[in-house]
Amino acid sequence: MSQHDRTHHARIATGKGDPQCFAGTAGGPSKFKVGDRVRIKDMPDIFYTRCQVYTRGAVGEVAVVTHESPAPEDEAWGHVDKSEWFYIVRFKQTDLWPEYPAAFAKDTLQTEFSERWLEAV
Amino acid sequence: MSHDHDHDHGHNASAPMVDEISDFEALEIAVREICIEKGLFSAEDHRKFTEFAEHIGPTPAARMVAKAWLDPEYKKLVLTDAIAASKDVGVDYLNPTGFGTPSDYTDLRVLEDTPTVHHVVVCTLCSCYPRPILGFQPEWYRTPNYRRRIVRWPRQVLAEFGLTLPAEVDVRVEDSNQKCRFIVMPVRPAGTEGWTEDQLTEIVTRDCLIGVALPKPGVTSNLELPVHRAAKPAHH
Repeated sequence: MSQHDRTHHARIATGKGDPQCFAGTAGGPSKFKVGDRVRIKDMPDIFYTRCQVYTRGAVGEVAVVTHESPAPEDEAWGHVDKSEWFYIVRFKQTDLWPEYPAAFAKDTLQTEFSERWLEAV
Repeated sequence: MSHDHDHDHGHNASAPMVDEISDFEALEIAVREICIEKGLFSAEDHRKFTEFAEHIGPTPAARMVAKAWLDPEYKKLVLTDAIAASKDVGVDYLNPTGFGTPSDYTDLRVLEDTPTVHHVVVCTLCSCYPRPILGFQPEWYRTPNYRRRIVRWPRQVLAEFGLTLPAEVDVRVEDSNQKCRFIVMPVRPAGTEGWTEDQLTEIVTRDCLIGVALPKPGVTSNLELPVHRAAKPAHH
C-alpha cells in the first residue's frame, strides 16, 4: 500500500461537502468583516496559487465572508491541517485596469482570497 | 491550434481534428483503469456517471430563478442557502448522482441582479462552473479568450454576445477562482406579468444564468435550431 492517504479528502467531505467539511477549523473568527477595506498582498507564489496577478496590490472592499478552508497553495500539496477564512473582495474596475473607461467608473469585479493574501488598509 | 505539446492545451483546447489525446486525457484513462482494477467502481458505474453528467442541463437552475421571482420566501433561501434551495428544484448538491460522490465544491452562491447592477460569471484560472445544477460549461466559457477578456473588457465582450448594457447599469464581474460556484439571478423582465412558474422557467436560458444574456419573453433557447422536415416521413 502507498504511504499517501488518497481517500482522506473523500472521507471528510462525503455527506457534508467541501468547503463545509472545514467549518470551524480556522482557529477563530474571521480577521476581516464585510465592508472592510483590504489590500491584496503581492507575495511570491511558488508552483501553485489561485490569487490572480491582476489583483496584486489593489485595494478593494470585503463583500462576503464565505467559508473556512485550507488555502489552495497548501491544499494543492495535500496539506489540509490548517484552514483560513475566505473572502469575496469587490474592486472598482478602474482600480484594476489603467485603461478602464471613466464613463463606467461604477463597474466592479469580485473575486475570492484566503486571509493570508489580505492586509487592512 | 498548433501541435506543440510544450504548451498547456489540456481541456481548454478545441477537440483536435486528428486522432490524438492530451496528457490529461491519458492521465484520466490511466487513473480510471486503475480504479476499475482496484474495484473502486466498475466500468458500468463509470459509463452511468458519464451519461449522467452529460445529461444535466440548466433547467433546475432556471426553475430556481423562476420560483424565486414568484415566491419572496424562497428567494430568501436561494440567496442565503442555495444548496438547500437547489433541493427544491430536484438537485441534491451533496449527492447529485445518488450513486457517486460530488465531483465539485459545494459552496453555491446566487448573484441577484438589480435594475442597476448586472452580474456576469467567469473563472479566469480554469473553468469553474456549478455543474451539478447547470451541466457542462459551454465551450466558449472554457476558452482563454473569454476568460482573459471578460474581466478587463466586460462591456465589449457582453456586446459580442449581443448584450449591450446602458451606462446606468453597472457591470459586476464575478471571477470564480476558489471554492464558490455562482449562478446569476436576472431581473424578471417586463412583459411576464401573470406568468406561471413553467412559463418563467422557459425564458431563463443557460446564458442568462451565466450573465451573458438577459431573459426575454419569447426567447426560450440560446440557439434556435433549424428543423429540417423529412422528405419521406415515417407513417405509423
